[in-house]
Amino acid sequence: MKKIYDVAVIGGGIIGLSTAYYLAKEGKKVVLIEKNEIGSGASGSCDDMILFQSKKPGILLELAFESLEMYKRLSKELDVDIHFENRGGMILIEDQRHLEVMEEFVQKQRNCGLEVEIIDKKDVLKKQPYIKKGVIASTYSSKDAQVNPLNVMRGFVSSGVSLGLEIKKHVVIKDIKQKKDYWKILFDDGRWIESEKIVNAAGAWASDIGKMIGIDIPIKPKKGQIAVTEQIPRIGETNVWSAEYIVAKLRPELAKNKDDLHNKLGIGFAFSQCSDGNYLIGSTREYVGFDKTTNYEALKIMINQAIKFFPILKHAHIIRSFGGLRPASADGKAIISEVKNRKGFYIAAGHEGDGIALAPITGKLIADMISNRNIYYDMNALSLRRFEQKEGAKNASA
Amino acid sequence: MTMDVKTKMEGFEMSDEIICRCEEITESEIVEAIRNGATTVNEIKKWTRAGMGLCQGRTCRRMIERILARETGIELKDIKPSTYRQPVRPIKMGALGE
Repeated sequence: MKKIYDVAVIGGGIIGLSTAYYLAKEGKKVVLIEKNEIGSGASGSCDDMILFQSKKPGILLELAFESLEMYKRLSKELDVDIHFENRGGMILIEDQRHLEVMEEFVQKQRNCGLEVEIIDKKDVLKKQPYIKKGVIASTYSSKDAQVNPLNVMRGFVSSGVSLGLEIKKHVVIKDIKQKKDYWKILFDDGRWIESEKIVNAAGAWASDIGKMIGIDIPIKPKKGQIAVTEQIPRIGETNVWSAEYIVAKLRPELAKNKDDLHNKLGIGFAFSQCSDGNYLIGSTREYVGFDKTTNYEALKIMINQAIKFFPILKHAHIIRSFGGLRPASADGKAIISEVKNRKGFYIAAGHEGDGIALAPITGKLIADMISNRNIYYDMNALSLRRFEQKEGAKNASA
Repeated sequence: MTMDVKTKMEGFEMSDEIICRCEEITESEIVEAIRNGATTVNEIKKWTRAGMGLCQGRTCRRMIERILARETGIELKDIKPSTYRQPVRPIKMGALGE
């Protein structure tokens, strides 16, 4: 099989699909290659939040603003209801020292234009009437939103295909070869395709694809386990998560009173209700290779946290658990860039927990790069080269 | 298989038949997902919620596999079942967290 495509997108998760959709929309001949099924990696095993509050001020927060506006448009544009909602979000604070850290964090986000504030106990109760007593304050942002990632992917597939997008599933790439002005992708069944450009959107597997063309992409799988409740009425106005995890990232010394298992699993409490009424209780952040299994130890800690914050939940049922592999880059930021010395090879991966939030803008940025349009963000912060520069600096100082 | 018989019955509207009873997903919704590009049971599940409810597909799993086989021509024996995960049955959070 021999065919020249404008762009071959590798990876059928939300990032690859968004990229393929925006490229197909401008008339490019696009093929999307997925070794398994649509959304079988992180995009199908995550929660549904478009979070602003979790983002450090900087490029990711800027991109999230535009991505949110794009989701609003996609909810009209795609031929599937993506369940976009602007419910707002709260980070629950239980500890005076955590409050101080969060006040500083919130101030920085406000300086970057995010509408977020600290609210006191009384206002927390108004928004979360079932909350336990020990919560002393909370952040609140009306900006935090949510979307059903599964429906978004279905919409990208369905609308993409009607724009001419070709999707190849269950095909495994064996090798990638750079030709004079195009790329040749070889499959393990002996077939191949040719494409002018390639976008590596393989998520947790992006580094395997990188190896085929001799580049090092510092992305590793980071497992997240989530428990799912039965469908129950909404128990609070917004989705919530706990300050503990954000504080642990910003000020590790304040998290030391936690036990080893908790730290090893990297648990940060996140609690959101999907549009169908199930609550998603998460989540772990574990470096355990490509193992996606869930285990009782982790689920038990997360469930206990949920009951601790909302005692009424002890009556609700857990119906399922799942685990997904978030693509975690070495510095926690996505890689959205063309690769130096590999003309026509782009990377859109490494979003870790930001994949759903940043999918639309990522797809659009890659389409802009491929079509040589001006980009008004500082893309150096998301380039692959930033890691080389760091390596170089380390070597120079050594 | 009963469904094949039904499709042959003239004037019989089979598409409103509920396949997933927990989530009340009809046959036509499943067929629509397949026409949108779903080719596996997991994709049908993720796109329609069929098999995502209280019983986690215990009732409808096999029927969905048959619809997929009928619509795509994939042989039933080649269709991979959707993923099984713990817990096997719904459990009260109060009991799980003990």
